[in-house]
Amino acid sequence: MTIRGAVPGELSAGKGDDLAQLLSLIAGRDAAAFSTLYKRTSAKLYGVVARIHNRGDVAADVLQETYVRIWEKAGEFDPVKGSPLAWMATIARNRALDEVRRIRPESLDDQPDSLEPAAEEVDPLAARERSEGLARLIGCLQGLDEEKREAVMLAYYRGLSREALAKRFARPVATIKTWLHRSLAELRDCLGS
Amino acid sequence: MTVTPDDDFAAAEYALGTLDASERATLAARRLRDRELDEAIRAWEARLAPLLEATPEIEPPRDLLPAIEARIWGAAPRSPVDAAFIALQRSVAFWRAAAVAASVIAIVLAIGFVAREMSRQPAPREYVAILQKDGASPAFEVTVNLDKQELRIRPVAARAPPGKSYELWIIDAKLGAPRSLGVIGDKSHAANLFGIDPAAVESATYAVTVEPPGGSPDGKPSGPPVFVGKLIAVAP
Repeated sequence: MTIRGAVPGELSAGKGDDLAQLLSLIAGRDAAAFSTLYKRTSAKLYGVVARIHNRGDVAADVLQETYVRIWEKAGEFDPVKGSPLAWMATIARNRALDEVRRIRPESLDDQPDSLEPAAEEVDPLAARERSEGLARLIGCLQGLDEEKREAVMLAYYRGLSREALAKRFARPVATIKTWLHRSLAELRDCLGS
Repeated sequence: MTVTPDDDFAAAEYALGTLDASERATLAARRLRDRELDEAIRAWEARLAPLLEATPEIEPPRDLLPAIEARIWGAAPRSPVDAAFIALQRSVAFWRAAAVAASVIAIVLAIGFVAREMSRQPAPREYVAILQKDGASPAFEVTVNLDKQELRIRPVAARAPPGKSYELWIIDAKLGAPRSLGVIGDKSHAANLFGIDPAAVESATYAVTVEPPGGSPDGKPSGPPVFVGKLIAVAP
């Protein structure tokens, strides 16, 4: 299956080209380019990380790790495979998820209770500006049952594990796993069409 | 796409973020050797990436950029936590003595090594090891770049027991006694491999022991390894 229009819109157009150029300079160990890249992207990446880590000091550490990794891996960025910001945000998310799983392994404390008020939740369905890619994905997400869609959103934006989702929705972990697999299969089929 | 349906779901859950620590570590290690799995993960990351557009920005703390730059240049201590951790390591007397001895050997060996490396330009030689107690519970991820003679260890799920430190050792017949690669803090830790025979680096067993705070007092493991693993080459 191929990915069409992997990450359009804000994440790829216009300023994405500049970011790609900065990344290639950074691959050549350009310190000024790195500083510029940080200033242009850190609020976005911190937005991703801080939603997974409620503790500011942990989120700041994860952001540090993320940029060190971006510095080390800049040469591996491939513009054909996606936008620069999506590439960086994916590194940030993976760092944040590795860390949150390490700090709160498995079913330990109740992440749902520690969630911020609903006003803090990201709701892509309410996004005013939508790229073609986001519009398509939202179209597919709207095909899911409300609870299942919410589970996908909480996992993606807040980093909730299957166990945390099970608690949140008061369902067995096995049920959550089935939900996730069905939802993801539906999304894949919907996006692939 | 040629991954099995199970692997595709694992890739999907990896990208979504719902896997637990050991599942994530297992998949992260597998994708280094399995190109199709790696592509399946990337495909899922790309499918979900448009969601990132909807993530509002949040200004990070102000002092972060200098801290990151310091880490990149390797000039200054990393963060207050890392600085304290480095200070703790350095307080161990043997560490200093070992460092002096090692740096002398390192210079001698590095010259030979660099000369050899410059005569051929192979792909970077990277290795990964997952240190674990048993097959189901990876605890640390070790990555080695043999060209840079650098090792990194990252805790995946392990946390040292209260009042104890984890210490990493390289064990190989070519090296004689187990050699410490430093105390492992809560975060990723780098160690240089200068002065260690690259063949030994490749074939060695990497082991983590539980030590008194700050590391073994006599430069020898105090107890049996708690987590062990061996390097595998990462597909270029």
